[in-house]
Amino acid sequence: MLEIKNLHVQLEEEDKKILKGVNLSLDPGKVHAIMGPNGSGKSTLSYVLSGKKGYEVTSGSAHLEGNDLLVMDPEERAAAGLFLAFQYPVEIPGVGNMTFLRSAVNSQRKLRGEPEMTAGDFLKAVRDKAKHLKIDSDMLKRPVNVGFSGGEKKRNEILQMAMLEPKMCILDETDSGLDVDAMKLVAEGVNALRDKKRTFLVITHYQRLLDHIKPDIVHIMAAGRIIKSGGPELALEVENNGYAKLLEESS
Amino acid sequence: MASSLRGDTADRLRLNENLLATSGQWFKNARLAAAERVESQGLPQRRDEYWGYTQPDAFLQKKIDFDVDLNSPLELFSKELSEVINYKNGILQEKKLPAIPGCSVESLSDAATLDNHWAGTVFGKLEAVGQIPVQRSLAALNTATASQGLLILVTGKVKKPIRINAVCEGTSDTIIHHIIKVERGANVTLIETGQYGARANVVLEVEVEGDGTFNHIRMQNGHEHNALTHIFGRIGTNSTFKSFTLTSGGRLTRNECILDLVGDSSRVSVAGACIGDEKFHHDDTVFVTHNAANCESRQVFKKVLRDGSVGVFQGKILVKAGAQKTDGYQISQSLLLDDNSQFLAKPELEIYADDVVCSHGSTSGAIDEEALFYLRSRGVPKAKAIDLLTLSFIAEAIQEVESPELADALLAHVTAVLEVR
Amino acid sequence: MGIEMNNVDVKDGVDADTVEAVRALSSTYKYGWNTEIEMEYAPKGLSEDIVRLISSKNNEPEWMLDWRLSAYRRWLELKEPNWAMVDYPSIDFQDQYYYARPKSMVEKPKSLDDVDPKLLETYKKLGIPLKEQALLAGVEAPEGERKVAVDAVFDSVSVGTTFQAELKKAGVIFCSFSEAVKDYPELVKKYLGSVVPVSDNYYATLNSAVFSDGSFVYIPEGVRCPMELSTYFRINAENTGQFERTLIIADKGSYVSYLEGCTAPKRDVAQLHAAVVELVILDDAEIKYSTVQNWYPGDENGKGGIYNFVTKRADCRGNRSKVMWTQVETGSAVTWKYPSCILRGNESQGEFYSIAIANNMQQADTGTKMVHLGKNTKSRIVSKGISAGKAQNTYRGLVSMHPKAKDSRNFTQCDSLLIGDKCGAHTVPYIEVKNNSSRVEHEATTSKVDDDQLFYCRSRGMGEEDAVALVVNGFCKEVLQALPMEFAMEAQQLVAISLEGSVG
Repeated sequence: MLEIKNLHVQLEEEDKKILKGVNLSLDPGKVHAIMGPNGSGKSTLSYVLSGKKGYEVTSGSAHLEGNDLLVMDPEERAAAGLFLAFQYPVEIPGVGNMTFLRSAVNSQRKLRGEPEMTAGDFLKAVRDKAKHLKIDSDMLKRPVNVGFSGGEKKRNEILQMAMLEPKMCILDETDSGLDVDAMKLVAEGVNALRDKKRTFLVITHYQRLLDHIKPDIVHIMAAGRIIKSGGPELALEVENNGYAKLLEESS
Repeated sequence: MASSLRGDTADRLRLNENLLATSGQWFKNARLAAAERVESQGLPQRRDEYWGYTQPDAFLQKKIDFDVDLNSPLELFSKELSEVINYKNGILQEKKLPAIPGCSVESLSDAATLDNHWAGTVFGKLEAVGQIPVQRSLAALNTATASQGLLILVTGKVKKPIRINAVCEGTSDTIIHHIIKVERGANVTLIETGQYGARANVVLEVEVEGDGTFNHIRMQNGHEHNALTHIFGRIGTNSTFKSFTLTSGGRLTRNECILDLVGDSSRVSVAGACIGDEKFHHDDTVFVTHNAANCESRQVFKKVLRDGSVGVFQGKILVKAGAQKTDGYQISQSLLLDDNSQFLAKPELEIYADDVVCSHGSTSGAIDEEALFYLRSRGVPKAKAIDLLTLSFIAEAIQEVESPELADALLAHVTAVLEVR
Repeated sequence: MGIEMNNVDVKDGVDADTVEAVRALSSTYKYGWNTEIEMEYAPKGLSEDIVRLISSKNNEPEWMLDWRLSAYRRWLELKEPNWAMVDYPSIDFQDQYYYARPKSMVEKPKSLDDVDPKLLETYKKLGIPLKEQALLAGVEAPEGERKVAVDAVFDSVSVGTTFQAELKKAGVIFCSFSEAVKDYPELVKKYLGSVVPVSDNYYATLNSAVFSDGSFVYIPEGVRCPMELSTYFRINAENTGQFERTLIIADKGSYVSYLEGCTAPKRDVAQLHAAVVELVILDDAEIKYSTVQNWYPGDENGKGGIYNFVTKRADCRGNRSKVMWTQVETGSAVTWKYPSCILRGNESQGEFYSIAIANNMQQADTGTKMVHLGKNTKSRIVSKGISAGKAQNTYRGLVSMHPKAKDSRNFTQCDSLLIGDKCGAHTVPYIEVKNNSSRVEHEATTSKVDDDQLFYCRSRGMGEEDAVALVVNGFCKEVLQALPMEFAMEAQQLVAISLEGSVG
C-alpha cells in the first residue's frame, strides 16, 4: 500500500533536518503504529506524506500503490486515497461542516472521474455515519471545527474519514486532548473502518490508544528514524519501560 | 495646502536668514532645505484633509496672545530618578550640560556654529522623509528656524533617564528641536516635562540604529497652551522604540508621531492618554510606516473628555509591499463624561503586503453604568467611582510604558489630576 | 446543493454551489457579449442642448427640464473629486454619448410582447435572475413559486416592467422613471432630489442633468409589497455612459425588498456609469435594497471596464423606519460608491452589508455613511473586502453621532483579506461622536487567506481555487446571509468566479 524509502526531510525556511532516512512498508489491511518521543519527527512524516508546505524532501521516496506521492498536490493525494486525521484540525469560520464535507467528497469523486454523490444520498450517508460517532445535527450545521471541543474535532475528523473512504489513513496523535470516553468513541469509529483493503498508520505518543485500536505492527521512531519495529508487544514495552531503554539500544 | 505664505511665516523665514549667517555648513544646509520645503508646500489650511478635525489657525497666526498665570508644575519624576536639563521660555538654562555615562549631550546653539557634526545625518533629514506622503510644513518651519534644542548621541546603555524640563511663561512662543541618535546596541530613556507657554512648536528627531532601544515619556500639563509637537523616528533592525504621552491641560495640543520602520524585526509602540475639560482640544496624529519585515507596531490611545472638550485621533498603519509578517495594532478609545464633548477619529490601515496581521479598533461611549453601580453599591461615592473608572480606563494605555517605576509615577500623576479637578 | 438540501437546511445549501459554480463556469466574465441592436444616439458630448434633447426624447414636462438644466449649470462649476484611493486616466466628458437607445424602442412597447426579441434574448443570456428572464419573456411563474417583478434597463431605456397588474392591485407603483414623470408627477416632484440634492456631488449632479431613465417605486401606506422588485441594468452600446436614476418611496408602515443587478459587455474602452439611487422611508416603513454589481471589470491588464461612480442614499425620515443596504461588488474597473443612511427619525435603523472583491487591476473605494440625527437610532456595518491580483480595495466609511442623536448605537466590523502580495487592502473610517449617551464601536482586521485552512481543504481533496472560493465564501458568510435567497446563490458563484486566476 504505502512504501516509504530512505526519506530525508528538512524545514524549508531553516536548515534543520527532521527526517533522516525513514523506511516503512505498509501492507493492505494492516494497522501500523508509530510511537516515539516528542520531536522524533512523527508529525512531520504525516505532513510530508499529505503534502503540507514548508518541508523539503532532500532524498528518498514515498509511493502509494506504486504512485509517487511526493509529486502530487495535496488534493491529488487525497483523491488517490490518502487521508490524514489532523492532530489540530483547522477551523474554517463561515463554512458549514456539511458543505465542506460534500465539497470534499465530490471533489475527490470528480478527480477520480466518478459521478458526484446526489444531495439525497450524501445526506443519508452523513447522517448514518454521524450517528455512530455521536455527532448530532447541530454539529453538522456549525462551521467547520469552529467552537468544537477537542473531542468533537477528533470525531469530526473520523466522520470525514468515514465519508471519504480512503485507502490509507494516517491518524496523527488522534488521542491527544481526549478523555477516555471520547477516545473510545474515536477508536470505535476507526475500528469500524478496518477491513482487508484499508491500511492505517496510527501515530501516537502513548500506548493507551493502542489498547483500543489494536495494531498489527509497531514502529518506534526517534531522531528522524525508525529505530525498531515489532509486534504489539513493543508498545507494551514502551508503556512499561519508557523510551529511554530503546533509545540506548539504538545508539 | 496653500501655496502662498502668510506674512508671519515669511517673517519667520527672514529671521532664519539672520540665523544662517552664523551657522556652520551642516546646519545651514539643513535649514535652507527646510525653508524650501515650507515655501514649496505652503502651510496647512482648514480645508486640508489632514487638518479636518483640528484647526491649524493657532499655529499659523503671527502672534499668539495669552498671558495666563502658570500653575506650578507638578513634580512628576523625582530628581534622583533622572538627569534633569532645564529650559525656560525655550532657552537652555544650564551653563554646563551634565556628563552622562553612555552618551554625549550638546546644545544645538553651540553645535550650530561647527562646520561638521554627527547630527547632520539626522537633523532635518527624518523630518524631510516625514513630509511624504503627508505634508507637515509646520515641522519643516521648525527645522528652518529653531536655534534651541539638545543633541544627544547615545553610545552605550544609559542608566538614568535624561529629563528635559522645559518651563515657559504664559506669553512665550517657543520653537525647540531635539536630535537623538541611539547607536547600535545602545539604549536610553528620555523624559519631557514642564509646561508650554502660549505657543510651542517642538520637534524631536530620533534615529535608532540596529539593536537599540529608545524609550520616551512625555508629560504635557499646565495651562492654556497651544502646542504642536512632532516626533520623527527612524527605527533600525531589531530595535525598540516606545513613546508615551500624558496630557492633562492645554487649550490646543496636536501631537504627531511619524515612524519609519526600516530594519527587520523591530518593535514600536506609540501611546498616549489625555484628560480634558472645557476648551481642550487634543489631537493625536500617528503615522507608522512598515518598510521592513517581521516588525510589530502598536498604537494605543485613550481620551477622557468632558465639558465641551474635543479629542481627535488620526492614526495610520502603512504596510509597504514586501513588509511581510507585519503585526500592526491600533486602538483608540474615548470616554465621554458628559454630553458636550466630542471624539473624532480616523483610524486607517493601508496595506500592500499579504502575509500580515493588522487590526484596529475604536470605541466611544459614556462611563459603564454597570461598573459605576457596582462601585456605588459597595459604598464608593459617585464622583470617586467615576474617578476610579476613569483611572482604570487610562491605566490600559499606561501599560505600554516599559519601566514599572515610570508607569507608577504616571498613574500617581493621573490620580492627582483627577483629584484636583 | 440542490433543492433537496435546501429543504433540510437552507444555510448549508448556500455555500455548496460555489464550488460547483467554479467548475461549471470556465470563462472569466460570462456577461461579456454584446447584443447587435440598431441604436439611436444623441450626438457625443454634453451641453445644454443635449440636456434638452434627452428631456424631449422622454417627452418631459417643463419642470423636469428646468430641474435638469439647473443641475447641468451647477455641474459646470463643480470639480471631479480626487480623494478616493483610485487612479484612472481623466475622463473626457465630451467624448461620451449621453443618450443611446435601441431603435426598436423609439415607439415604447405597450407590453412585453412588443419588445424586440433581441433585447429579451439579451436578458435571457444574462442568466440572472434565475427565474426573471422567463418572466421578462412573459411566462407566468408556476403556482407557488416566489414572484419577482422586474424592470429592465437597457443602455438608457427601460425595456419593460413585469407583473404590472398584480402590483397595481396592491397599490404599488413600479415603473420606469420616465413613466413616473408622466403619470405621477406630484410624487416625483415631491421626492426627487430630496435625498440626494441636485448639487450633492460631481457625479450625482451630472446624473441629475442627463439621467435618461431608471426605476420608480412607491409603496403606499401599510402595504407590504407582494413580491420582490428587481431592476436589471445592462450597458450595451459603446462609448455610452449609463445614468439611471432610482427613486423608491416607502410610505408609512410599508415594506419592500428591492434587487438590483448590473452587467455590461467586454469592451476595450472604459465606460462610465453614474447612477443615483434615492430611498425615502417614512414612519415604520422598511426598505431592503440588495445589489449584485457585476459590471465588466476590464481585462487582467486593466484595459476597459466600467467606471462606476454611484451615489446611493437612504433617508430614514420617519420614526422607527429601517433600511438595509446589501451589496456584492465584484465588477467594474473603478468603483466609487458609498450607500448611505440618514437616520433622521427617532429609533430609525440603518444597516450596511458589503462584499467588495477586487481582482486583477480593479480598484474599489467603497463603504457607507451612517449619519445619526434622531434619538435611539441604530446602525450596523459589516464590510468584507477581498483583494487579489494587483487590485486595490479600500473601505471608506463615516459614522457620525450628532449631538441630538441621544442613546444611539453603531457597530462596525470591517475585515479585509489579501490574496497574493501585489494587491492592497485599505481601511479609512471616519468616526465622529458628539454626544456621550451613544456608543460607537469599530473593529477592523486585515490578514491573508489562511494557509492552514487551504491545506486542510486540499488534504480533503479540493483543488486550490475551490479551496480559496470556499474559504472566501466563509469569510463573507455574514453578508451573503443578508441577501435574498436567489441573490445569495448568485453572489456565491460570483465570489468564486471573481477570484479565478488569483491563486497559483
